[in-house]
Amino acid sequence: MVDVSTGLIALASGLAIGLSAIAAAIAEKEIGVAAVGAMAEKEELFGKGLVLTVIPETIVIFGLVVAILILNLAKGG
Amino acid sequence: MLKPHEMSSVIITGPNSELEAVIKELHDMEVLHIVEHSKNELADIGKPLDSAGRLSEILVKVRALTAALNIRREENKFELKKGLLEIESNVRKIGNGLGALNDELKKTEELISKNEAVRQELEILKGLNIPLENFTSYKSLACFTGYINEKNFQHMNGELSKTTKNFMLFKSGEKRKFIALFIDSKNREDAGSILNKNGFSQMNFSNIGGFKGAAMSNLKRTGEENARLQKKRTEIKNSVEKLANGHKAFLAAADKFLSIQLEKAEAPLQFASTPSSFLIKGWIPSGQLNSSIERLNKAAKNRIFVHFEPAKTHDNAPVKLKNPKYAKSFEFFIDLYSMPTYKEIDPTFFIFLTFPIFFGIMLGDVGYGVASLLFFWLLKRKMKAKSFFNILMLASFVSMLFGILYGEFFGYEFIHPVISREYEMFTLMYIALAIGVVHVNIGLIIGFINELKSHGLMTAIYEKLSWIILEAGVGLLALSYMGKMPISPLIGAVFLGLSILMLFKGEGVKGLMELPSIFTNILSYARLMAIGLSSVVLAVIINDSAKEFFHQGGVFVLIGILILVVGHIINIMLGLLGSFLHSLRLHYVEFFSKFFHGGAKKYQPFGFKED
Repeated sequence: MVDVSTGLIALASGLAIGLSAIAAAIAEKEIGVAAVGAMAEKEELFGKGLVLTVIPETIVIFGLVVAILILNLAKGG
Repeated sequence: MLKPHEMSSVIITGPNSELEAVIKELHDMEVLHIVEHSKNELADIGKPLDSAGRLSEILVKVRALTAALNIRREENKFELKKGLLEIESNVRKIGNGLGALNDELKKTEELISKNEAVRQELEILKGLNIPLENFTSYKSLACFTGYINEKNFQHMNGELSKTTKNFMLFKSGEKRKFIALFIDSKNREDAGSILNKNGFSQMNFSNIGGFKGAAMSNLKRTGEENARLQKKRTEIKNSVEKLANGHKAFLAAADKFLSIQLEKAEAPLQFASTPSSFLIKGWIPSGQLNSSIERLNKAAKNRIFVHFEPAKTHDNAPVKLKNPKYAKSFEFFIDLYSMPTYKEIDPTFFIFLTFPIFFGIMLGDVGYGVASLLFFWLLKRKMKAKSFFNILMLASFVSMLFGILYGEFFGYEFIHPVISREYEMFTLMYIALAIGVVHVNIGLIIGFINELKSHGLMTAIYEKLSWIILEAGVGLLALSYMGKMPISPLIGAVFLGLSILMLFKGEGVKGLMELPSIFTNILSYARLMAIGLSSVVLAVIINDSAKEFFHQGGVFVLIGILILVVGHIINIMLGLLGSFLHSLRLHYVEFFSKFFHGGAKKYQPFGFKED
């Protein structure tokens, strides 16, 4: 069994990635809807649409980096 | 490579008598990208050739027939022997044949629906057992037919009896009765109001006039008639299909032939023209310029004049990308995004270098690589988008190489890995970020060259070099603070301050606001590690859960195999989608934003058809 502090660290790193993923998802939803709408009008906009849609994905990457840093605490501690 | 084909702007002028010959030659050469002329005080746009009206008329007919005969477009080889005349007479013949069949079909369908109406009426009347000729109109009798509820029936019967004795009442059915009432016409109005009071709903039989005898025998006759009509309808439909099959090759070939002729006939709409001469503006790749001019002069018997000059930096020339054969497939990504302008660097070659590597780092598994390579190879043989599958096959191959580096075969460690994705994720993240630094800086250098060419050295330094100095400053600061480098933090700070000043001069306040973007861009490359990590962890989980079943033996082995197959197929699909999109995104967002302008027109020569 792991002790409580390790569990809390795991929980914290889970929250870091999970919450940032939700945030990215909400942002991407809005942009994705608009991008698909624009693409239906003009097919050439696929490239630009894709780029704009994936911009908020960076948020998850931040979440991931923070999660990994927190996990590192478990090793160090 | 890096630069598109060189273009020359071309102006062709000549007398209208040579217009048709010039158009024909241009269409055959497939080399001139026409710049559309817009009407101005000097010259109007040209008029279509005389044949255009007739051509479009026949083309409309051909397309109408294609649609009416429900013919799908497909490849076929049909030779049109006598050209337009043959098409015209054939189209008329097919049209007449189809018209006659359609008329007959319409007639038959009308008969069928009438027959159906008769049948419905006979079905209702068959319970009454009255000869049908009795339902004609009488002078001294009134006839009511319709439905009434059983409850009201007795009541109505009583009331009628009170009024008169001169009536006959027939009924059929259980709860909701169908009745036929024949009554002295003197009592017509009384009977009508009695019926109305009792909730009678009238029904008229308009389709059985002239029918004689019992309803049952008529019903049988109607059924036979119906069968005959249905058969006839099927026959007509079969002949329509036969007509379609017999002529579909001809119609497709005619459509193609006419479209090409019409394109030529309507080409003058894009030219400038005066009452007696024409002027065509456009672009020809410089390499094909001389031979093209020679051919044009020959076709027009040297009665035209061609002016040409090479494209200049700020010309809005159409772009024909030029890349070695092995990198050509990657032009697909540029097509998807936007054409680089004429003097910009064409990034196709860089995508060719890095896209498969990024994809491979993320998918990185020998088994997955082999599976997807086979999958895309099969798809490529079936589908049209060859370049798309070429890219994916190359990327799958690189995934296999990275699979060897990671020592992974369907998530199973089959050799000792050079670097393990599962356990050494920090090392891998640093590698990913290092790749990010290199990639972003390549982008900045390309941007520097682009700016140098279009806006001069100072703009290039302020707008692009400043970012590199900024990175260096932050890097030096971090290293000195962490004690990894024995220098004063001041040096880093000076770099930082200098770069911020340069950015402010180059891009204004907007540049200052975007300061952190370069670091988020680099951090974004951490996904190279993250996607791969999620893929390998899923694969390991699939293998472990299948192993549990294998240990139990017996039927469970089958379940274990099922888990392995389904699990890995899903994981491959997820992995392919993720690796493809994220690799593409790193190029479109992080890489392109450092240098790419785009928005140029694609080179589309007159007469050229993409298949």
